[in-house]
Amino acid sequence: MKLTSFTQQTFYLLILSMLVSAQSFPQDINERIKTLEEKLKIQQEIIQKQQTIIQQLQEELQQIKAQTVSEKPPAQPEEKPVYASGGLFGAASAYNPNISLILDTFGYSTNLKEDELENWNIPGFIKEGLHHQKGMNIHAAELYLFAPVDPFFNLYATIPVTQEGVELEEAYLVTTTLPAGLQAKIGKFKSGFGRLNSQHAHVWNFVDQPLVYRAFTGREGINEKGIQLTWLPKFPIYTQFGIEALQGENEILFGNDGSKGLHAFGTFAKMSFDIGSYGTILFGPSLMIGDTKTDSIEQDHIFIGDTKLFGFEFTYKWKPSRWKSFLLQSEYLLRSQKGKLEDTATSTLHTLKRSQDGLYLQTIYQTGRWGFGARYDLLEPFKDTFKLDGVQTSFGDKPWRASAMVEFNPSEFSKIRLQYNYDRSSRANITNNEVFLQFIGGVGAHAAHTF
Amino acid sequence: MRKKLLKLVFCLTAFTVNLFAQINVVATLPWIGDIAKQIGKEKLSITVLVKTSQDPHYVEAKPSLIIAARKADILMYNGLDLEIGYLPVIIESSKNPNIQPGRPGNFDCSKFVSPIEKPTSVDRSMGDIHPLGNPHYHFSPLNVLKVAQGMTETLVKIDPQNENYYRKNYQEFYKKLQEKISEWKSKNLSGKKFVAYHTLFSYLANDFGFQIVGCIEAKPGIPPSSGEIKKIIDTINNTKPDAILVNVYSPKKPVEFVAGKTGLKTILVPHDVGSLPQTQDWFSFMDKVITLLSEG
Repeated sequence: MKLTSFTQQTFYLLILSMLVSAQSFPQDINERIKTLEEKLKIQQEIIQKQQTIIQQLQEELQQIKAQTVSEKPPAQPEEKPVYASGGLFGAASAYNPNISLILDTFGYSTNLKEDELENWNIPGFIKEGLHHQKGMNIHAAELYLFAPVDPFFNLYATIPVTQEGVELEEAYLVTTTLPAGLQAKIGKFKSGFGRLNSQHAHVWNFVDQPLVYRAFTGREGINEKGIQLTWLPKFPIYTQFGIEALQGENEILFGNDGSKGLHAFGTFAKMSFDIGSYGTILFGPSLMIGDTKTDSIEQDHIFIGDTKLFGFEFTYKWKPSRWKSFLLQSEYLLRSQKGKLEDTATSTLHTLKRSQDGLYLQTIYQTGRWGFGARYDLLEPFKDTFKLDGVQTSFGDKPWRASAMVEFNPSEFSKIRLQYNYDRSSRANITNNEVFLQFIGGVGAHAAHTF
Repeated sequence: MRKKLLKLVFCLTAFTVNLFAQINVVATLPWIGDIAKQIGKEKLSITVLVKTSQDPHYVEAKPSLIIAARKADILMYNGLDLEIGYLPVIIESSKNPNIQPGRPGNFDCSKFVSPIEKPTSVDRSMGDIHPLGNPHYHFSPLNVLKVAQGMTETLVKIDPQNENYYRKNYQEFYKKLQEKISEWKSKNLSGKKFVAYHTLFSYLANDFGFQIVGCIEAKPGIPPSSGEIKKIIDTINNTKPDAILVNVYSPKKPVEFVAGKTGLKTILVPHDVGSLPQTQDWFSFMDKVITLLSEG
């Protein structure tokens, strides 16, 4: 304050003297006053700046005093690098990707004979039978690698090793720095269509996939090379939109026809909100369209045409703690195809129009390390159009299946599951009574779980 | 003249927008949210992801958490792999560049602390052990102070306009902590012995000179087997601790069994800010913890 009043006084003196000199030249007095005023302004600004600097200095001094007075001054925040030390290859091991290996194996028993099992198809949907063997099966030992590539991409790869060999199930880049809530996925990946499709088999609540997935997408699901773009706008509730352009190699839906380039296109939306403290609802529609050339419908027949697959998913999960949860999940799928069906044995052409649907409903109750589940599968609940040359073909009873499951999770990294299927999907008057005893164990990096 | 007026209006609006714009902080744990609140006060809008009743090791990456992270200017988390089961998914799925690893908006509180109980060798036959050390350092006043300091520096970096404000609040926090530390030390916990359900209290025991003679949960994340329970009962009979320390999410059955067999009382200790009554901020949370243990 003292400083300010002193400087102000000097300035007033300065101004006064200037005014006096100004009076002797009255002709340009106005101009002079103007310039003076401007100068004064500048000076005052400088004074203000100096004052703030003094204040800051005083504050800093107090801070330093406070720190020296106290017994233990807070150490400067240290950023501790967590790199591995030295070694033959230097710190390079710190750059190794996260690796985990998940073993998924099961024992299998059925009342069917081996050849009946192989021909356990779904007439009107797929000709492919079941691939389980009586006794022990290895679903896969799945190698899972992931790491940031650079500040712009994360990389994921899933490499299941099965008895048939090594496969590149997934390998894709995910962007991390696109603006406006956009994200791109590039490579080979499981499509965002529906709920179960993008999940790995070892996180399913049952050993096997629902009938409707088996009938419409086959064993591998929609797992394609392509590009996916998702958008998560800043809405009050979670709403994600996605579009995909895919190679369309799924043998059931599109068929491997390289000449057509990208020929399957998908879009989906997912919305989610919480109910109460522990409940969450997730739902949304999906659509996939594409050109099709497939021999998966009937023996010695090739279908050429186009496919539309529509899906709607619904999940409700209630989880008050780690040790208790309840899940209700359902998906409805509708598949329409139009085109020509060629009998390769006789070289005759038919028109085929089929529009069929299917759904599953499953519920899981978890208490402690135990989980109990039930699932119901039904095909053709509302639509059973299968028109060959305009004539509806009837295949018999609607395929359906009921499953019961009990599982025990010794830790977060292992699982033992017993499942029974009452399977009436062959439309004939035969039942497949199946029992699975599944073991899952994961080692290595702790991959985070999606909802 | 009109241009000048426009300029003025523009400056004014820019100023007022700046004045009321809050920094969007998303904190994983309640205590982190509270420290941020004490440093940033009304300059921050704070969302906490993990509920006070939840076990912070096991949280699901629910879409509601992802959309919260989507809106974050800065994400503050505990680190030391505590949130490894869900946070990486939340960060990537948020599609929010601000909070990606390596960005200033990705704030790992554990960078500023000195972890203890870092295992020299580890595999999962020992349970879900944290290879980077015990992650429950929010019971340790000096470590929390370092986190608060780191937070201050980061907030200054992100919001330099309010530098003095943040520094002033940190000074207040620092002074209050100095007073509180001597108050807590005067409760004299040294020499006491406890059994805990989980390795939550190691930092506290280190700082205040009491002893945790054993954990009922012998392997982290895995409910104890009958053999392990027998072992802890033997330990209790040999070492004669004062009480069993549990928290709101520890399983009741094994604890009740051990308490019944040994006649030891159990003390329900808050594991985080807000998890029990009178723990509305970090200081009152620590008050409650120290009081409960000193009376135990």
